[in-house]
Amino acid sequence: MLANRPGENMKKGVSKTVWTIALIIVVVVIAAVALMIQKPVKPAQPAQNVTAPSPTALDTLIIAMDTSDAVSLDPARAYEFASCLVANQLYDKLVDFELPDLVHVKPEVAESWEVSPDNRIYTFHIRKGIKFASGNELNADAVVYSLQRVIKLKQTAAWVLTQFVSKPEQIEKVDNYTVRITLDRPVAPSFFLATLTFTTGAIVDPKVVEAHAKGGDMGSDWMTDHSAGSGPYILESWERESQIVLVANPNYWKGAPPLKKIIIKHVPEPTDQLLLIKKGDVDIAWDLQADQIAQLAGTSGIVIEKVEGLRLIYIGMNVAVKPLDNVKVRQAIRYSIDYDSIVSNILKGMAIKWQTIIPKGLLGADPNTPYYKNITMAKKLLAEAGYPNGFEIELTTPPTYPQIDIATKIQSDLAEAGIKVKIVQMTQSEMYEKYRKQGLQLVLAGWGTDYPDPDDNAEAFGNYRVKQLAWRNSWYDDYAANLTEKAALEPDLNKRDAMYKNLSEYILENGPFVILYQQVHPYVLRDWVKGFVPDPTFFYLDFSKIYKKVGS
Amino acid sequence: MNFWAYLARRVALMIFTLFGIVVITFIISHVIPADPIGAILGPQAPPELVEKVRHEWGFDRPMWDQFVDYLWKLLHGDLGKSIRTNKPVMSDLLYYFPATIELATAALIVAIITGIPLGIISAVKKDKVPDHLSRIFVLIGVSMPVFWLGLILLFVLYYQLGVMPGPGRLDPYITPPPRITGILTIDSLISGNFDAFKNALWHLILPSFVLGYYSSASIARITRASLLEVLRQDYIRTARAKGLRERIVLMRHAIRNSLIPTTTVIGVSYGSLLEGAVLTETIFAWPGLGRYSTGAFLSVDFLAVMGSTLLIALVYSFANFIVDIIYAFLDPRIRY
Repeated sequence: MLANRPGENMKKGVSKTVWTIALIIVVVVIAAVALMIQKPVKPAQPAQNVTAPSPTALDTLIIAMDTSDAVSLDPARAYEFASCLVANQLYDKLVDFELPDLVHVKPEVAESWEVSPDNRIYTFHIRKGIKFASGNELNADAVVYSLQRVIKLKQTAAWVLTQFVSKPEQIEKVDNYTVRITLDRPVAPSFFLATLTFTTGAIVDPKVVEAHAKGGDMGSDWMTDHSAGSGPYILESWERESQIVLVANPNYWKGAPPLKKIIIKHVPEPTDQLLLIKKGDVDIAWDLQADQIAQLAGTSGIVIEKVEGLRLIYIGMNVAVKPLDNVKVRQAIRYSIDYDSIVSNILKGMAIKWQTIIPKGLLGADPNTPYYKNITMAKKLLAEAGYPNGFEIELTTPPTYPQIDIATKIQSDLAEAGIKVKIVQMTQSEMYEKYRKQGLQLVLAGWGTDYPDPDDNAEAFGNYRVKQLAWRNSWYDDYAANLTEKAALEPDLNKRDAMYKNLSEYILENGPFVILYQQVHPYVLRDWVKGFVPDPTFFYLDFSKIYKKVGS
Repeated sequence: MNFWAYLARRVALMIFTLFGIVVITFIISHVIPADPIGAILGPQAPPELVEKVRHEWGFDRPMWDQFVDYLWKLLHGDLGKSIRTNKPVMSDLLYYFPATIELATAALIVAIITGIPLGIISAVKKDKVPDHLSRIFVLIGVSMPVFWLGLILLFVLYYQLGVMPGPGRLDPYITPPPRITGILTIDSLISGNFDAFKNALWHLILPSFVLGYYSSASIARITRASLLEVLRQDYIRTARAKGLRERIVLMRHAIRNSLIPTTTVIGVSYGSLLEGAVLTETIFAWPGLGRYSTGAFLSVDFLAVMGSTLLIALVYSFANFIVDIIYAFLDPRIRY
């Protein structure tokens, strides 16, 4: 018999004790950790409790952002949030928007311009003396090369330009400082100029780009992670999934920017971003979520800048599906939903109630919000439409937050009016595959504006001929389609504004949409970051206006 | 059977397994009702653009045709092009894999140097306090989600106490060394950048601990069980009866023999460390294969998904293969 045998007899008793002790320890550890989390971080001394930025750090800005969507920083290719944001710091465009104004286009590389009476020929006069970061001069040749390059490379974002300018020859040099662009069709100047502010309008340095061209790619491969622009910053490096580093362009024609270096650290997990910003190791946290924002509110040393983003969340009602073809049924649905509760309880303030097709901040935005939860009205409308006992319908949604919560809320709201909603969950890509083929009944989806001109939304929501949202919901309304096309041609800004408001009102009443809300984007900054103007689009933000200053 | 015949058979089996994986991942990724083009262009792309891009990528061709094409390119070392990054999958994998190798290897080292001693101690001190303590450690290790543990450690050690660095591979102020192998600790040593080396090593500690914890727990458990088993054998009793000191009995006779099952667990662990890196890489902002393949899954990037699956499968089979070879050294009775 082995020496330790007696222990075996006790085994049962011992292991019971052990488990009890283990359980107690685990509980104590968890409780201790929980207490630590609960313990509020000492407020009132944010700059002290963290490493106060050293003097060298004052000219460096560190941003925590999820940059995983970035594919290429070549302005002819960039089409994602992170890539457009960065490209905008590296390049200048003929014209640009200056935040927060997204209605009036401002001169940038082009000092001035003329538009022919038929709104087809645009002549741009280029500012003299602008130099690229390389020292080369920015002239008409560079402008012609850059815009032609976008058309020739035919990348994802090229349509922003080619929707008006289909052939490279339509962009011509008149003299060293004059460029003429001839459009395929007449278009409202405010509209065409707005599309030139998109990343595809960036002016690249032809000599640098061509020096790195290979196999007829016009330098596109090299430009993926290098820059050749005249903007306030130069791309120093892009370590994918790690960080993007920008350094100030000493030759910048508007004067060297105050921040010498900008580091965009890739931090995919919002909780990490929260820790980093609270600790003061980053200056800006880009992707915090509603509950984290709520938690940060009132923390000293932290500033929350909110802005209404150009993204609308809506319910599409396919009018090919009975009884959604009946305008009164669609009205009844609009009168069944508790919009305020969605905005305040589900989105916790990271949205504003908005019911028309053009988001707040753009030309033609109509702030009218006539719909509210009114079950009596909804029931009356359903009875008039011949459905006094309601009906059954499917609502398709992606299986993600907050869509699921919103869909469930809508399900219970519509049930009060007698409409039985069956929620169908699908991955985003599967859902859009079906939606694109008119294959859904009710769908919870979103629309983000590509460039800040009302046409982008008006076409999608109003014009079935472009096969976008109106078409996907089988709403073939010629009045809306004609009005959309006419508004795109109107040269007078005020008249154009009025036309979009008309269109918005018409769709508000007759269209196949319930617009639920407009998203709000929160940026979280340390209070030493100054000059930051929150950007509704993500890509007009100008880093050269930002500086750091400790204390007030 | 001699060693070389065994080797040939193992390699053949490995190729067969990998082929099976190619077939299965290809079929799965092509029958699921998700549209890669829609995923890459986003929900707002105009319909003509969708069709044009679909044609450019060849997704409108019959599946069989696409499969033959894929295999043919695969045999030539071409994994296709990722629709998400617009770069060859091969170059993407070469870019992201080193960071994962660095993390998984560090995690394995953590797991081995904590797991084996812990297992030994708890077997020797069976049912005494050290055994109980190690059991608690193991219990927490196997039951605590990586995600939670990672965030808690960051919160306490980085945010509250400030003794550990935040997420990422390097502090933003540190200039990274030129890319040679892609493994930061090695690159910084090669280029003699000791600041970067220290910083990279510092940043490696928390994630490798979090990732290695689970494996450490299973290594400890298996080591304990197999050592207890060995300690019951007759030859151990003989050794003790000879009057050998307990230390000699353990070190020379028991431990070596008990390590065979442990080796298996370690081999398999390395494969699962590579996979398990997905969550750890997300929490610690680690630019590795886990993040790359998750991104690929989410954007229905078939070729990238297949490429990463194949790579992980390759590493898995290779790790198993190495384990089999190591057996021979640990146990001279095993012959091929």
